[in-house]
Amino acid sequence: MIEFQNLKKVYESGGQQVAALNGIDLKINKGEIFGVIGFSGAGKSSLIRCVNLLERPTSGSVIVDGHDLTSMSVKEVREIKKNIGMVFQHFNLLNSKTVFANVAMPLTLAKVSKDAIKKRVQELLEFVGLADKADYYPDQLSGGQKQRIGIARALATQPSILLCDEATSALDPQTTSSILQLLKKINKEYNITILIITHEMAVIREICDRVAVIEAGKIIEEGTVFDVFSAPKTQTAKNFVSSVMNDQIPDSIKEIIQKHEGMQKVFRINFVGSSAGQPLLSDLAKQFDIHINVLFGNITELQGTPFGKLIVEFQGSDKEITRALTYINQKKISIKEVTAHAS
Amino acid sequence: MLVNSEQIISALIETIQMVAFSLLFSTILGLPLGILLVVTRKGHLLQNLPFFTVLNGIINIFRSVPFIILLVAMIPVTRLIVGTSIGTAAAVVPLVFYAGPYIARLIENSLLEVDPGVIEAAEAMGATPGQIIFKFLIPEALSSLVLALTIATIGLVGASAMAGAVGGGGIGDLAITYGYQRFDTVTMMITVAILIVMVQGLQSLGNIAAKKIRRR
Repeated sequence: MIEFQNLKKVYESGGQQVAALNGIDLKINKGEIFGVIGFSGAGKSSLIRCVNLLERPTSGSVIVDGHDLTSMSVKEVREIKKNIGMVFQHFNLLNSKTVFANVAMPLTLAKVSKDAIKKRVQELLEFVGLADKADYYPDQLSGGQKQRIGIARALATQPSILLCDEATSALDPQTTSSILQLLKKINKEYNITILIITHEMAVIREICDRVAVIEAGKIIEEGTVFDVFSAPKTQTAKNFVSSVMNDQIPDSIKEIIQKHEGMQKVFRINFVGSSAGQPLLSDLAKQFDIHINVLFGNITELQGTPFGKLIVEFQGSDKEITRALTYINQKKISIKEVTAHAS
Repeated sequence: MLVNSEQIISALIETIQMVAFSLLFSTILGLPLGILLVVTRKGHLLQNLPFFTVLNGIINIFRSVPFIILLVAMIPVTRLIVGTSIGTAAAVVPLVFYAGPYIARLIENSLLEVDPGVIEAAEAMGATPGQIIFKFLIPEALSSLVLALTIATIGLVGASAMAGAVGGGGIGDLAITYGYQRFDTVTMMITVAILIVMVQGLQSLGNIAAKKIRRR
């Protein structure tokens, strides 16, 4: 468990004070995958670095598994760090050492016996699928492989917390996806709490349970991934969601709506969960005297629940359309009329 | 030619001795200073700005004194340490004061090239400052450190030739007493040729070693 209490971090730069973290209160539960998303400069890097005191907060507390790190001695913090693994954007592997030696490093530092190190490293390399690369050097590996080694290294001391600092931001989409699957596997098999910071909403969508949006050193929105994606409250969250959900109506469709305005009505239908499985449109066409034209649509899956939006055009008499709308409302499906000006 | 091959060989041995011993002692002096210059600076492992500022200043002072002046100025210190100010052993003292601070700077540069991310990873693992220096910083910079020491060694070959001017012996001594003061052009040519071969050889050796370390 990780808890931030009124966490503040102020940097001094050229006589000016810059607040990177401006009073963060956040609780990350044991065993969950928690994502913090924000634009660069929002403070997310400072936040994750406070969890293992790579950066010392100016004020406030960081509580990890019941210990307030800010009140502990340097030596005690060093011990706690063995329980917190960290994965970096640029991997931060030692280029002068083999894959084996890199993964073994945290164990070497902890003065674990050679035999035990050998066994554990073998185990870890098998877990990340790179058992055959033990004698390679990092510069002989691809980015995805390097990150797997970084993950294996972070897991060496069997931590209960894994920090991922933009762990997939330097990787291509396909590799990103495979690294995210690996993180999910770690979370499931070892019940390790994972804190991810990222600027990519796709990362949040793919593996996080809960998400917090950070802006100007403050958490501006927080909730389950499903809630934030289906109903983002702040503009920043909306922007992030639309970056992966594409819920904006394309201009070409807007033009069509504009041309036909007055002759028919355009609606946005939100599907959530089981309603996404119903044959709603064909029901409507059969039961009412209307024609339905699907203009634009997007259905995705969030944490195992289908979720999506359809922009449809109903052609028919006002009366029939009103009846159809009543029917939809009875089914508890959210529907809203769209005009050419609004989206 | 006024010198025989025996004289050349014994001068060569003197030069090698001078360079080898002064390299050894100046590395013993320069390596810890170089490390301290890195880790005590702002934002680093063992930040200590007053210490850094003083050390930085002292190294600059030694680095700014021309070697020929250092050679003479160091005579009392040399007498104190070696007992005499003439001869090969005596030449090692000013050479160490010349090359030590130089090596400290070179090592500082090499260590600063190490990716700060690696240090961050080490800190995240809970490594102590000592572990970070010896298990992360130095291994990561090793290849670059070898090249730095190669540069220092070549600098010492040049400086040791100058030490000949105050009776330090070696190839430089031969070049000055015979080649320069007695207008013996052949000796001058031979001594210069020997120095060229030495420098070429050392640089190649350093390059090979650095390459080997980098690409194991």
